[in-house]
Amino acid sequence: MELYLPIAEMPVNIWFMVGLGAAVGFLSGMFGVGGGFILTPFLMFLGVPPAVAVATQSTQIVASSTSGVLTHFRNGTVDFKMGAVLLVGGFFGSIAGIAVFNALKAAGQIDLFIALSYVIFLGAIGGLMFWESLGALRHGGSKVGALRREPGAHTWIHGLPLKMRFHRSKLYISAIPPVFLGFLIGLLSVIMGVGGGFIMVPAMIYFLRMPTAVVIGTSLFQITFVAAFTTMLHAITNQTVDAVLALLLIVGGVIGVQFGMRLGARLRNEQMRFALAVLVLVICVRLGMDLVLPPADPYSVVGENTE
Amino acid sequence: MVLLILSLLFAPAARAEELAAGLSKDDIKISSSFTGTDLVLFGAIENEGGASIGIVQDRDVVVVVRGPGTAVTVRRKERLGPIWINRDQRRFVGVPGFYFVASTKPLAQIADAATLDRYHLGLAHLDFKLPAGAVMAPVDYRNAIVRAKSRGDLYNEQPGGVQFLSGSLFRTTIALPSNLPSGTYDVNVYLFRKHEIVTAFGTPLRIGKTGVERFLFKFANDLPWVYGLLAVLLAALAGWVSALLFRQRQ
Repeated sequence: MELYLPIAEMPVNIWFMVGLGAAVGFLSGMFGVGGGFILTPFLMFLGVPPAVAVATQSTQIVASSTSGVLTHFRNGTVDFKMGAVLLVGGFFGSIAGIAVFNALKAAGQIDLFIALSYVIFLGAIGGLMFWESLGALRHGGSKVGALRREPGAHTWIHGLPLKMRFHRSKLYISAIPPVFLGFLIGLLSVIMGVGGGFIMVPAMIYFLRMPTAVVIGTSLFQITFVAAFTTMLHAITNQTVDAVLALLLIVGGVIGVQFGMRLGARLRNEQMRFALAVLVLVICVRLGMDLVLPPADPYSVVGENTE
Repeated sequence: MVLLILSLLFAPAARAEELAAGLSKDDIKISSSFTGTDLVLFGAIENEGGASIGIVQDRDVVVVVRGPGTAVTVRRKERLGPIWINRDQRRFVGVPGFYFVASTKPLAQIADAATLDRYHLGLAHLDFKLPAGAVMAPVDYRNAIVRAKSRGDLYNEQPGGVQFLSGSLFRTTIALPSNLPSGTYDVNVYLFRKHEIVTAFGTPLRIGKTGVERFLFKFANDLPWVYGLLAVLLAALAGWVSALLFRQRQ
């Protein structure tokens, strides 16, 4: 059944798009990742303009992270104070991001910039995960969690001013590192259409030294609001949010994530991480090839909406 | 001799040849399930003079359909280190969103380049205007537009696409693709005699978008704040519902 996407301005098959949302939701549930960094490149491969793919992906993240944060809220694993501080940075990061995004769009470089950002991030994360899971598979055990939190350890972070007390995280640290982290995530959210959990979660554990129990819930809390704000910024400045496409992906994602979580519970952690690393690297190579190989037509034509 | 020429020029004028044409549909509504359609144009030459002197051989018909003009930006990729990057760009205005031309013979055999240029007949004779004050764009940029539009079936040239059914009755089929831009199109039919236009006929064709996606497109552009807010609320609602469903299953 064909459906015409109003903003992406292309006909798509409804079931294919719901299926894509479900497949990525499945991976997302299985690996416990947001899925934005897999879905956005796939939308671009299908011919959705990168600016529309990124903006629409933000809308999809609102749905998936709302669902996640509500579960964590019930379990009491959200540090609201830390979330609020991260959010301050996130809002400013999004505003800075949209300024960069629109300047690049006007210069005709936004598609390249989005693709390049993906190649760099997917390459770095996929490479690290590949290396780590390969080692873990060889040694028959997981090395994840080897870097445990040492409550007494003081780093340069503790020397920064503007200290705040975060009761839920049992931390007394400067507000500057979380605001900076939030800013970075806001920037990534606007430009890449990702939640940023894959950077935020490790940063919270190793950099801010938050207890692992509240890390996921707090990052989801921040992602929900930053993604909502990002969606608004894209909708207002570029009109690139395709609500129909977002809805199809959300419906598929909601179903896929349930099955993914069930299968994920049965598989070995190292095997899953290895499989995800391979997938991430394949997407990275595919995106990179489009940048490096001579284009079929070096000229591109962009129409302006006169209506 | 002069009299003879004058009489040849004015004699047919008494019963001037005229064209009449009609479309199978002149108002097309594009809905979300629109996957393209074929439009048939029928036409007739009225008061056809000189059939008895075998003038049929030098008679040609050209049908042109032009969509509304828009502005487009053409960018050229160049290699910078290992990657291909957009370097040069040119903006054109008045580029038809749709262009179709069908004729009884290849256009080059019907008229000379000057005539084809004047009436913008054929993909090689379209004129894309530059904005006021812009420097001349190389022909490559112009050709890139034609290539890109042809790939999307928005530009189409069909030599031999106009067929005569009988002595003066002709028809052509216009294929309209699914990604058709909306607006009022111009349909023009030209009658050539001995490589010169003797008469023409024009009729409008209205392409309008209807349905949900049309509404959403306008909504997103006219009220972006409300649209963005609704998109966010809808997504949050979907997330909330899925969290509820998930809790029940646990």
